[in-house]
Amino acid sequence: MDLTTILQATLTGILMAGIYALVAVGLTLIFGVVRIVNFAQGEFVMLGMYVAFWLWKLWRIDPYLSLLITMPLLFLFGVLVQHFLFRPILHAPDLAQIFMTVGLSVVLMNAALFFFTADFRSVKPVYSEWTLRYLGITLGVPRLFAFLGALILAGLLALFLLKTDLGKALRAVAQDREVCMLLGINPERMYLLAVGLGTALAGAAGCLIVPFFYVFPTVGVVFVLVAFVVVILGTLGSIQGALLAALVVGVAESLGILFAGADLGLVVVFGILVATLILKPAGLMGAQ
Amino acid sequence: MGGMLTPGRYLPAVCLLFLVVLPRLLPNPFYVHIAIMMAVFAALGGAWNIIGGYGGQLSLGHAAFFGTGAYASTLLVNAYGISPWITLWIGGLAALALSIPVGIICFRLQGAYFAIATIGLAEALRLLVLHFREITNGAQGLTVPFKGDAPWHFQFGSKLPYYYLALAMAVAVVLIVRRMERGRLGHYLVAIGQNQDAAEALGINSSRAKAKALALSAFLTGVAGVFYAQYTYVIHPDSVFSLGLSIQIALVAIVGGVGTTLGPVLGAVILEFFIQFTQIAFAGQYPGLELMVYGGLLVAVILWRPRGVIPWFARLYEGLVARLPAARGAQA
Amino acid sequence: MTALPLLEVEGLAKRFGGVQAVLDLSFQVREGEILGIIGPNGSGKTTTFNLITGVYRPDRGRVRFAGHDITAHRSYEVCGRGICRTFQIAKPFRDLTVLRNVLIGTLLRHPDPVAAEIRAHEILKTVGLEGRARMVAGSLTTIDQRRLEVARALGTGPRLLLLDETMAGLTPTETEEAIRLIASLRSQGLTVVVVEHVMRAIMSLSDRIVVLDQGTKIADGTPAEISSDPRVIQAYLGVEYRRA
Repeated sequence: MDLTTILQATLTGILMAGIYALVAVGLTLIFGVVRIVNFAQGEFVMLGMYVAFWLWKLWRIDPYLSLLITMPLLFLFGVLVQHFLFRPILHAPDLAQIFMTVGLSVVLMNAALFFFTADFRSVKPVYSEWTLRYLGITLGVPRLFAFLGALILAGLLALFLLKTDLGKALRAVAQDREVCMLLGINPERMYLLAVGLGTALAGAAGCLIVPFFYVFPTVGVVFVLVAFVVVILGTLGSIQGALLAALVVGVAESLGILFAGADLGLVVVFGILVATLILKPAGLMGAQ
Repeated sequence: MGGMLTPGRYLPAVCLLFLVVLPRLLPNPFYVHIAIMMAVFAALGGAWNIIGGYGGQLSLGHAAFFGTGAYASTLLVNAYGISPWITLWIGGLAALALSIPVGIICFRLQGAYFAIATIGLAEALRLLVLHFREITNGAQGLTVPFKGDAPWHFQFGSKLPYYYLALAMAVAVVLIVRRMERGRLGHYLVAIGQNQDAAEALGINSSRAKAKALALSAFLTGVAGVFYAQYTYVIHPDSVFSLGLSIQIALVAIVGGVGTTLGPVLGAVILEFFIQFTQIAFAGQYPGLELMVYGGLLVAVILWRPRGVIPWFARLYEGLVARLPAARGAQA
Repeated sequence: MTALPLLEVEGLAKRFGGVQAVLDLSFQVREGEILGIIGPNGSGKTTTFNLITGVYRPDRGRVRFAGHDITAHRSYEVCGRGICRTFQIAKPFRDLTVLRNVLIGTLLRHPDPVAAEIRAHEILKTVGLEGRARMVAGSLTTIDQRRLEVARALGTGPRLLLLDETMAGLTPTETEEAIRLIASLRSQGLTVVVVEHVMRAIMSLSDRIVVLDQGTKIADGTPAEISSDPRVIQAYLGVEYRRA
């Protein structure tokens, strides 16, 4: 256990953090605007992965290129989900909302099982085995690309939310629905936008990891759990918090796998959840 | 007061009588098995209801308590040959002990975030059990040493004794929940669910109330876990610690009626019917199809009745009670 | 009259972000009296209640009740000690009946539900809600909701009752009733602190009045004294008597 190995694990963790950040930001966006906690967020990642897989299998479309197809496709899917499933329960009790998204999650997971079977699929473009070596550290090129992709998408999202009118309207609705209506902002459209975006981000995450992750129906479960820990650690509703928290979680998971074993990575992540709830329940960005 | 035999009193008694006689009426042991599973889930749903329905804290990690009971008991039976009649209570206590740190951690969150935290903890527990295979035998699971027809070892030759034990367990849970509902804890839980600030201003220690509710719920769930282990002889992390099981437990209470005593019984019957029906209809041909339908039905029910299925069962029952005749005993 | 005040607030301070809600607030409440707290909007009246009852933790200062230090104790502990409060925006248990609302209060001192229910009925009679016992709390009129708030608080058997703007928005007749009710509570041995904007009511009810402005006490005395106090008049500059 030397420094290089630890550094390696840390860097791998940082790279993975980019993906966790995408999923978590999508989750926090949906919660912030529509106030629904989306248990099916992991399944949206899974959908993105399967879309990328089939585009590759059928037409040899490179996963990174397929982002251009996957994202709009999943955006549309999110819009449909918001319109048909979320809209009727916007003001329903917690119970209804939880079980709606849990139900959706079960349906999606098992639809994938039914249509695509439980077989583990993989996408192996030419660069899938490439690595970058420097000072004794080896980093997989796909992981690097995934991180860069996540960074770019996060940057675009930031630009959108901060600089465009639509983005500002979205943030405004997250803050105060009623005032927005007075200002002529149509909350319904904003909800559709928020859920669409949140879904698209999850789908993008799926696309980006497909070159180095197996695709199978239940792959989403881990992502939604990790995303939740990230959201809680990063403070509910805070996008900056989610980014920071993703970093912490990604690195901690990676180091946890190094020291405790591959099967305990998730346990480490939950250890972070426990620590957060005991030490700083409001999250990194929260007031005490 | 005389012997007023109101439907409110005799209807449950009649139902109970029917349930006692039921196994004799069923054509073969498979149906008895279904009845046993219904009873087990009725007990699980009722136990969940204490914290989920009355306490308003939607746990989706109750499998953690179930599995803890099952594993604690089976490990002790295997290692020291202790009678399961004793480990029944130890399993419950083990689950209760687990509920204390779980509560301390998870009660800091509300609503869906609480639910997610419970999922997380149950999953983490499952992974830990898988990991420490020197103790738990990992994915292969544990088996209860077969002793044939040995009542002292909680093993029986036919399904009937299991049925009556499961029935007793379900009835016990219903009675316990009713007792709790009418007592101080029941009122306090409802108050907390309505408005926690107002409740605390009236002297209610909400953390303590929730912890009590969770402890009771966990204990009963753990006991059910021990029963399950003894009944099925084999347990693995993926069967007793699974997320699917946790969702099913919560669903039983929700479908039948959150925060009611008899709701989970109805929910267990409906759900088990549905599971068996889909298993038979699709004969395991298409993996994922039955759960897809399951999930789809869940979504559909929520869309149709976002406020829950509760009211109609309660109204149905009350309507029935109102229409049935009452028998008068000796007049005062 | 005992030498020891029932409630003693000393040097309380609380800041929320950029706003100093309460600053160096000190006053006493003597057993058996009705103390009024008045002040313009934002003067820190409700915050004071929240600080006393443990909803907020004071940055500085002490709260003593019957000789015990209860600073920063949790709400339920404070209630257990004998202080109960009503909320400015009523917080009834909406889906529960009026009786059950009060029952939940009486369970504190009467753990047995049967005894608690009997006591709850007594209290409902006191506030005049007996006829509405089986009504769902969420469907009550405003004045009845206020009555319910008071009834619930009474259920916990307090020595000190804190009433937060119980009379806001009431008609003159309803206000009269409320004044009578509060006065009758005092005759039952309760000590009451009343926060109000309805001047007529508080002037006629209170034995003493504490005046707050911008989180600090600017006057403390009998109604007659404070109504002629130039600092009080200045704080309320231009604000007429609210029509009671």
